[in-house]
Amino acid sequence: MTPDTPFHASAAYDAYTIFWREIKRYKKSKSGVFIRIIQPAIWIIVVGNTFAGTQPLIESVGFDGQYIEFMAPGVMVLTAIFTSIFGGVNTLWDRRYGFMNKVLTTPISRSSIALGKVAAISLISALQASLILGIALAIGVTFADPLMIAPIMGIVILFSLGFAGISVTIAATAKSQETFWGLINMLGMPLFMLSPALFPLELLPEWLATLAMFNPVTYAVLIIREMMTGVSEGGVAMLAGLGIISAFVVCTVAVAGHVFTRDVNKPF
Amino acid sequence: MDAIETRHLTKSFGHVTAVNDISFSVKSGEIFGFLGPNGAGKSTTMMILTTLLKPTSGEAFVGGADVSREPKSVRQKIGYVQQDIAVDEYMTGRENLLLHARLSHMPNRMTESRIDEMLSLVELEQKQHEPVVGYSGGMRKRLDIAGGLLHMPDVLFLDEPTVGLDIQTRRKIWDYIRRIHSEYGVTVFLTTHYMEEADSLCDRIGIIDGGRIVAIDSPARMKDALGSEMISLEVARADSDRMLQELQNMAGMLSDIRCDYGSGAITMVASNGTGAVPKIFGAASRCGAAINAISVTRPTLDDVFLHHTGHEIRDEEDSGFSRGLELARKRRRSSGAP
Repeated sequence: MTPDTPFHASAAYDAYTIFWREIKRYKKSKSGVFIRIIQPAIWIIVVGNTFAGTQPLIESVGFDGQYIEFMAPGVMVLTAIFTSIFGGVNTLWDRRYGFMNKVLTTPISRSSIALGKVAAISLISALQASLILGIALAIGVTFADPLMIAPIMGIVILFSLGFAGISVTIAATAKSQETFWGLINMLGMPLFMLSPALFPLELLPEWLATLAMFNPVTYAVLIIREMMTGVSEGGVAMLAGLGIISAFVVCTVAVAGHVFTRDVNKPF
Repeated sequence: MDAIETRHLTKSFGHVTAVNDISFSVKSGEIFGFLGPNGAGKSTTMMILTTLLKPTSGEAFVGGADVSREPKSVRQKIGYVQQDIAVDEYMTGRENLLLHARLSHMPNRMTESRIDEMLSLVELEQKQHEPVVGYSGGMRKRLDIAGGLLHMPDVLFLDEPTVGLDIQTRRKIWDYIRRIHSEYGVTVFLTTHYMEEADSLCDRIGIIDGGRIVAIDSPARMKDALGSEMISLEVARADSDRMLQELQNMAGMLSDIRCDYGSGAITMVASNGTGAVPKIFGAASRCGAAINAISVTRPTLDDVFLHHTGHEIRDEEDSGFSRGLELARKRRRSSGAP
């Protein structure tokens, strides 16, 4: 019918199309931006001040600042975890209201749908985390080196890709909304708690500390805190931590891409 | 080459066979409709043809490409407008179409002008910069249809294009579909459970029931195949005896002739109604009877459906429209027949 046949777009073009749409939606939901930072803001303000008296505990592991400076990176990671692990919910609505089916009947590559979503969620997660960073700075948290903000955001983006991958995978396969929310809640809070976000690993019982070493959140917290405060803890080299996070991200994003290619259009 | 062709297409979900050994073809440039009740297998067939579902057995080709083996090639040839209106509420109408252009891999240089063209076709230019969340159901459907057509597909799939819309919007959508068809020559494959929709839009229809195609032809020929039109005429009361006599002499053409002496109304069944009318006038002038009124009622698609499936289309969900039609039809029947 047309002389202008569809061109053969690259996977990157396809992923960008999905990314563009997700970011557009994010920009249009002003209330969403606000709602998403309420919880971490409460954490950093309430818990940060309530636990200020635990300073001797963090001093015992070689940390000499305020407790709030210790936990601020943890709350940034908290923001990143929850923004990204909830981020896949769009996929659920897309499947429910037919948008996904429409996308799947276009020539777009299917794994690119997952990639575009994961990339957008990760960027949104970093934007939300930077808001929390702003709040932290406003209530008196200081940086060892302000130039570290760029690599810190880099870590947040990288780390969020991993959780976005998990979220998108669950949203693409969940048989119901309840399954999605159940799994997301089952994963999110324990992963946050089983990390040095609020307390140093050294204070955990040994079995819990061992478990925490299998948790990618642990490495994100340790790296970001080291970048912010200049104090290294937990006995993990920064590069090793970065390697572990990267491996986590590669795995979850690959699974998300695979799941989208295989069965995202199952009835829901 | 046929735009769509299926051979022994079958789709089972567990023990349920939704599509049962369906073979049909749609010619290029046709408006072809699947008519059947909810759950007949219409949408399932469409989901196979649009590569959303894999057939359990059999083959299907769209634009010559095998839906199972070359799904990507099929996706480049089709536009799909689902029963659920799939537009992004947060984005504006124009942004939705831009998204669609990118998803469809439309060359950039033609995107903007095509979007303008489509917005004008579905009369949404005024609203194009408003978020879709403020659109009415009919406007959303129009936007969705514009998206399905934006990239100039060879085949446009419309799944229940007017379900849930009020009657004015429904007629408007029919007009758009006709214009799309005449202006762009696109092949249209649609599913519907509305008789009127199938009747007024489609070049050919396939009646599908219980996962099988029970009949396939043009609506007119299907109705003709049933034959037997109902003719009713009114003559002056004094003339009715003479007229009846004349009509009874035309036994080869007319049957079941009844007369209401009170009103002078005569009804009869004709195997070829339009052909019988001039002969009836001839008979009237022979016996000097004056015909006050005459009408020929052709079999409706409802009669065709009933004939092939043994039951009427029932629509529990969307009672308003079809129930109304059904009532109107029953009234017509009871008043037309003696």
